[in-house]
Amino acid sequence: MKIEFRPTAVLLTLSLAVAGLTACSEAPAGEADPNAAGACKPADVKLVGQVRNESNPYEASWLNGGDAFAKSVGLTQQRLTYGGDSTKQQEQISQILAGDTKCLVMNVLPNGDSDTAPIVKGADKAGAFLVTQWNKPADLKPSDYKTWISHITYNGVESGKQIGDALAKSIGGSGGIIALQGVLDTAAAKDRFAGLQESLKANPGVQLLDQQTANFSRAEALTVTKTLLTKHGDKIKGIWTANDDMALGALEALQQAGKSGKVAVVGIDAVPDAVTAVQNGTMTATVSSDGTWQGGIGLAIGFCAATGKIKVADIAADNRAFFAEQFLITKDNAAQFAAPKTDPADFDCANVFKRVAGPLK
Amino acid sequence: MTVTTGAAVPRRIIRRGTAFRDAGPPVALVVIFAVFAALSPQFRSIANVQNIVDAAAVLAVVTCGITFVLMMGSIDLSSAGVMGASALTVSLLVANNRNDNDLGLLGIAVAVAMGCAFGFLSGLALVTLKVPSFMATLGVSAIGLGVATLMFAGVQPNISDVMLKSWAIERFLGLSYLTWIAAACILAGWLIQRYTRLGRYAYAIGGAEEVLTLSGVRVKPYKVAVFTLAGAFYGLAGVMVTSQLGAGLVQAGNGYDFSAITAAVVGGTLLTGGRGGILHSAVGVLLVMVLTNGLVQVGVSPYWQGGVEGLIVVAAVAAAVIPQRRRNQVVK
Repeated sequence: MKIEFRPTAVLLTLSLAVAGLTACSEAPAGEADPNAAGACKPADVKLVGQVRNESNPYEASWLNGGDAFAKSVGLTQQRLTYGGDSTKQQEQISQILAGDTKCLVMNVLPNGDSDTAPIVKGADKAGAFLVTQWNKPADLKPSDYKTWISHITYNGVESGKQIGDALAKSIGGSGGIIALQGVLDTAAAKDRFAGLQESLKANPGVQLLDQQTANFSRAEALTVTKTLLTKHGDKIKGIWTANDDMALGALEALQQAGKSGKVAVVGIDAVPDAVTAVQNGTMTATVSSDGTWQGGIGLAIGFCAATGKIKVADIAADNRAFFAEQFLITKDNAAQFAAPKTDPADFDCANVFKRVAGPLK
Repeated sequence: MTVTTGAAVPRRIIRRGTAFRDAGPPVALVVIFAVFAALSPQFRSIANVQNIVDAAAVLAVVTCGITFVLMMGSIDLSSAGVMGASALTVSLLVANNRNDNDLGLLGIAVAVAMGCAFGFLSGLALVTLKVPSFMATLGVSAIGLGVATLMFAGVQPNISDVMLKSWAIERFLGLSYLTWIAAACILAGWLIQRYTRLGRYAYAIGGAEEVLTLSGVRVKPYKVAVFTLAGAFYGLAGVMVTSQLGAGLVQAGNGYDFSAITAAVVGGTLLTGGRGGILHSAVGVLLVMVLTNGLVQVGVSPYWQGGVEGLIVVAAVAAAVIPQRRRNQVVK
């Protein structure tokens, strides 16, 4: 048997298939009536949580938080991961939106700023309730849409400053530090580093000896820290890193250089290993955005809107796009964060906007 | 046989040509090292030289594997996935915080064997299914990452195995154990390349596969064997990263695929196959490491480093192929 491909035939088949698919995906979208939204029975709500991958503790805890919320209302969360691939994320979203979207609630981590717009437009057209987190372009606002309820993010400048101050305090307010930045062209890396610079202004005794990028990677942080340790030697009293993975890499480098415990290290994200390190004193501080809460809250806000307990139009403008509260973890409170768990009270429809720390401008 | 006798006749001429052609990368290494040493006193300190060599260990092992594949004229992008799978495997088999396993050396052997299996899979896809090596290995990399993610299951396995951790920390003659392992790999790789049929055929396949086939050599088993060997090196590299980081990371091999190809090419192992070898690649690895370390030591802003590094790599490769330019070689 030999199959021959005839270009025209292939082209025709493909275009037919595409036409068929478009027809399918448009039909339910047309049916969705925005006025009917908000009147779903709790049991009819469909919960979807989407993150990049489950291979990092933070995003895994996010999905677990979503599961915990879903369980609390007697539903299950559909867990989606797209492996950090923007195209795959869009495919998954359009697949979900092609199904029944009447009582659909999505809690989405867009891969990058530019990925948010198509997701928002798709969800709006299909009448699906959507909460996005971390990434969105500044000019795209939830308040301009009916079912894009909220966008949640965190103030990187603040977290960068918080750990900068904690670092300054732990080295006694004076001495040299080095900084490991994240992927330089990301907003998270820029904001967090800006936070460090604010902290440096507030702590004139602390001197930034060197700053390098380790691209948020543990392995790169290991190499860069070793290099900087040979460059500056004992002048380094502290290491500021833009995330915990790099902090953990720096800790390994210190151990290999025989300086374990002699240099203070701070990071951001509160991944479990970092929290343990803070707890046993090898690391000074980290900042938690509370991944399990993030996974739950997006679904909770959507669930409240879908079941009519919250009217999207009534939500205060400041709660449509906001910075959520984040927590500095030091030795004193590390035990609390060592076992991340969700508090069902946080997801009560009256409390879903309790952690708003300020509007996103 | 025809191949060897054919080459034996103009031996002296070839040898002189080879020496001239191979001088490029080592000269580039010396020049770049000298420039950084002149610019920065910290760079030329003994501690920093140790640091460079230590930092090169993992890349050297990955490059050993990839060199055999490149010599054969194929390409291998599977290292990232294979290293991730191997890192998770070893971290779950030696003493760790996720389960009660404590297999020690056996766990490491299993991880390396798994690397072999992945390499075997790439080789098999290439010779039996005729999938181009580029795609076959890219697919195997994805499989490796998938397997690693499954084993990861949301909780980072941290290793507490004393021996494996000591590889990165303990030193012998001023260099970490990992560096000595890498040196042993380079030696083993060189011996395989120089003295075994596998190594000789890898060269020959890259040089002129048709001639080899016409001479009655069955090349397929050797191709599979080369990919399997490469997989073993990636497996070991995954173990080494785990030792360095003290934890099994899915991303253990991130970026190593292209860094290793860069190092091999900078060292003079051509992508077209049939040229270069383990020692060339080792020089390439050192060149790349000296470059990344030196740019930090002389204080080039991180915003500039990526670009500057790329520029120097292209310049180094261009310098390395100057002697070949006269040979009217077609470059694709």
